[in-house]
Amino acid sequence: MSTLRLDPGGTGGRLESTLGRVLQIGTYASIVLVAIGVVLLVASGRSPLEAGALLVIGRLLADVAAARPEGFLWLGILAIVATPGLRVLGALIGFARGGERVMAIVALLILGVVALGVLAGLVTG
Amino acid sequence: MEVGLLMLVGGVAAGAFGSLLGLGGGLLIVPLLTIGFGLPLREAVGVSLVCVIVTSSASASVYLERRQANLRLGMVLELFTAMGAIAGGLVAFLLDERLLAAIFAVVLVYVAITMLRSRPAQGDDAATAAAADGPSRSERLTGSAVRRVPAGLVGSVGAGVVSALLGIGGGIVKVPVMHLVMGVPLRVATATSNLMIGITASASAIVYLLRGGIDVNAAGPTALGVFVGATLGSRLGGRVRVGMLRALFVGVLLFTAFEMARRAVGLS
Repeated sequence: MSTLRLDPGGTGGRLESTLGRVLQIGTYASIVLVAIGVVLLVASGRSPLEAGALLVIGRLLADVAAARPEGFLWLGILAIVATPGLRVLGALIGFARGGERVMAIVALLILGVVALGVLAGLVTG
Repeated sequence: MEVGLLMLVGGVAAGAFGSLLGLGGGLLIVPLLTIGFGLPLREAVGVSLVCVIVTSSASASVYLERRQANLRLGMVLELFTAMGAIAGGLVAFLLDERLLAAIFAVVLVYVAITMLRSRPAQGDDAATAAAADGPSRSERLTGSAVRRVPAGLVGSVGAGVVSALLGIGGGIVKVPVMHLVMGVPLRVATATSNLMIGITASASAIVYLLRGGIDVNAAGPTALGVFVGATLGSRLGGRVRVGMLRALFVGVLLFTAFEMARRAVGLS
């Protein structure tokens, strides 16, 4: 196993372009949410050094609807953290469609490791 | 209100600096938040991880479209960096903050020395591609044929651990591992490292997030600032004299290392 060859596959760069767009859209969407949250936070006169509200998934939409800064900030941060995972999910679909079985398994394993991180955080948190 | 704007401006500076010098902003964000704003180190690391994901996603989207990053190589390696990142994220909550500060200081000095010694890498990619035997020239140029895979995988786990402990992208480990150990051309290694940073930092950010290690009020302005700064930096690149900037950055790194070392021994 001295040399590993990673065949670029037969997608002709289409997969890379699609995944690039996934990252771009995810980044811009999350930054817009964070920016709204920051504007609301600054307008409320609260200092960012005050301890922020903890993440409560069930309250997220209500906070957004009530234009509370923490709602937009948490939604934006969750979108930031999820964006690379979406890229891996997109790659999984692309590899599976293109018949690149080994790379599809790699993508699946990465998502498995991320899921393990969620589990580890929940168990130890 | 002023603190929020200062955090935003600090984020812009860290993002621009990082982008202009080809480093993630993480090395500057953690010291900015701890030394500048008095945040606990672990909380600053959590915020920095969020910022690092933003810059990675933004730049990786460009690298992927230009096919400068090797998607397949990046995904094989990020499987291992993600494992390291989760382990690092869990260990970070067990370590004394003073020990974390000491590790940070050492890493800052290492990066400062590396920057002082670095020379423009002329003909580097060509040299890598012109190696005597093994893969073809085109395989070497795109990084689609790599050598010493086991060592590369171990290095990737290490990069993930460092990233999660210190809130940095881990490029300082990943790029040398890919380039020097696995024979990937420097330009491809840098772009691929950028791609990998996203999922690596995500894996550990999830652990921090679920353990209450990310403060939303601090993360918002800083992440927004870093995004704006990194975007500005990428547009200014080429128009700014990087030599001067590099010297200034080394000074900032050494000062920050000194402050972190003081923190490590309990003097601040």
